[in-house]
Amino acid sequence: MSLRDILLQIAQVAAVLLLSPLLQGFIHRYEERVQRARGPSLIQPYRDLWKLFHKELVIPEGASAIHFLAPVVAFTAMLIVPILIPVLTNFPLPLSNMGDILGGGLILTLGGFFITLAGLDSGSAYGGIGSSRSVMITILAEPTLILVLVGITLLANSMLPFVVNHLLVGDLSVYWSPAHVFLVCAFFILLLVETDRMPIHSSTHIEVYMIEEARILEYSGPLLALVRWASAMKQFLLYTIFCNVLLLPWGLSIQGTVLGTLGAAVAVLGKLALIACLVILVETAQSRLRFYRYQEPLAASFLLAALAVIANQIR
Amino acid sequence: MTLPHFPPLAASFFGLLAIASLLLAFVMLGSRWLRDYMYAFGLQSWLIALISAGIGHYEQVPELYLVALLTVLFRGLLLPYLILRILRRLHADRELHEILQPASALVLGAAGVVLALAVAYRIADALGDPGSPVIILALTVMLSMKLIGFLMLSIRHEAISQILGLMILENGIFLGSQILIPGMPLLIELVILFDLLVAVASFGVLARYLMEHAGTTSSLQLRKLVG
Repeated sequence: MSLRDILLQIAQVAAVLLLSPLLQGFIHRYEERVQRARGPSLIQPYRDLWKLFHKELVIPEGASAIHFLAPVVAFTAMLIVPILIPVLTNFPLPLSNMGDILGGGLILTLGGFFITLAGLDSGSAYGGIGSSRSVMITILAEPTLILVLVGITLLANSMLPFVVNHLLVGDLSVYWSPAHVFLVCAFFILLLVETDRMPIHSSTHIEVYMIEEARILEYSGPLLALVRWASAMKQFLLYTIFCNVLLLPWGLSIQGTVLGTLGAAVAVLGKLALIACLVILVETAQSRLRFYRYQEPLAASFLLAALAVIANQIR
Repeated sequence: MTLPHFPPLAASFFGLLAIASLLLAFVMLGSRWLRDYMYAFGLQSWLIALISAGIGHYEQVPELYLVALLTVLFRGLLLPYLILRILRRLHADRELHEILQPASALVLGAAGVVLALAVAYRIADALGDPGSPVIILALTVMLSMKLIGFLMLSIRHEAISQILGLMILENGIFLGSQILIPGMPLLIELVILFDLLVAVASFGVLARYLMEHAGTTSSLQLRKLVG
């Protein structure tokens, strides 16, 4: 464990911490642009966070310790995940053997679980609705997530994201095999679901069909900033896993030099922008469905994951 | 029985095409719009024609080019055109009362594919040639498309979806036979095509009859056995 590796690991976490609002800003801006509006500035999420951190904290009546604990747990969980996955380098760094893909998924879900608890905690009607909806969707998304992870494991005979990355870079026939194509499609739908971009609601604030927003309606000030930042980081992490492990495994730092790491950071931004454009396209082109059709995209994703596992058996 | 052996590139090409047609079967299973089914069915037929032509090329069976051409003409163009015409005349756009939600149907279909895979392994073992993965793939796709066809027949009420279920079933058998027995006589292929044409034509008559006498194309209304 050299000093360079430790610094690289810190750089990975810092990259996720600092670049995640930028991705959020990119999506907000260009979604508006596609719909022929001006859209907010790219750095608007940073300004929002700055503003929220300087506001006073209003605590709802009857809030327990969970109300204070949840944002901190969610934020910390999102800081742990980048240690486990290839964000900038394509080789394992110190402590990256703490958990495999399944471990990363567990920690990502832990953050969401605490936000759900916080939504229930204050006893407001909207928090309850948001929590129950998000739990319903998570229950349906979980089998798919597990199947996708099983598919990845069968593809690479390993549960470590770095091994999958090396395999896909090294062997183009695996990259273009049906199993991998299915996994990419299934994970893309999961990505839309987990980043709160289901076609059944818009991700805007205060709306009848809101899901994620309803859970955090009681938060204000610095705690709201933490929650927002954590959800931006979750989005950034899921996009990074999708890019660096599945879809575009190229363009990571191989030797870990300063220049290479900077280049990898730029490359990650470029790749994420590409995925964000795809997400914007899907979100704009896909018509809104009735709320009770939320299980359809998840069923399609489950099907694709199951087909990936089967295609893998035949490969 | 001797099974064909393909070079690796051809095998992966056929594998991709077979899996793409399986996906299109799932598109038909998961969609509610009858027009979408038709487009998916047409596209699936084009893919199967590509498989025929490819196998004709690799196995040096020139009749298969003709089979491919006939598949494109009949299944890819003529049948979708005829059924779209029926759809236009009957003003039946979408499935209104499905027995099973499309989401549950997709999951059931996935279970069907798993079953098909298990059966395909058994059959490949019985044939004594477990080697080539494309054989197992062809068997799996064939069996699962048959299961999906049966599923569509049993969960859809709209008369037009039912004939589509029948046609997926038939497409599945055809796809499997193309890969497994490349030298299938041309005559049989011609007979099957005309069979399909007759099925669609008589079905069109039946659907119009239904529309006139029952006022709907949903088979749910067919409770009584009187005219």
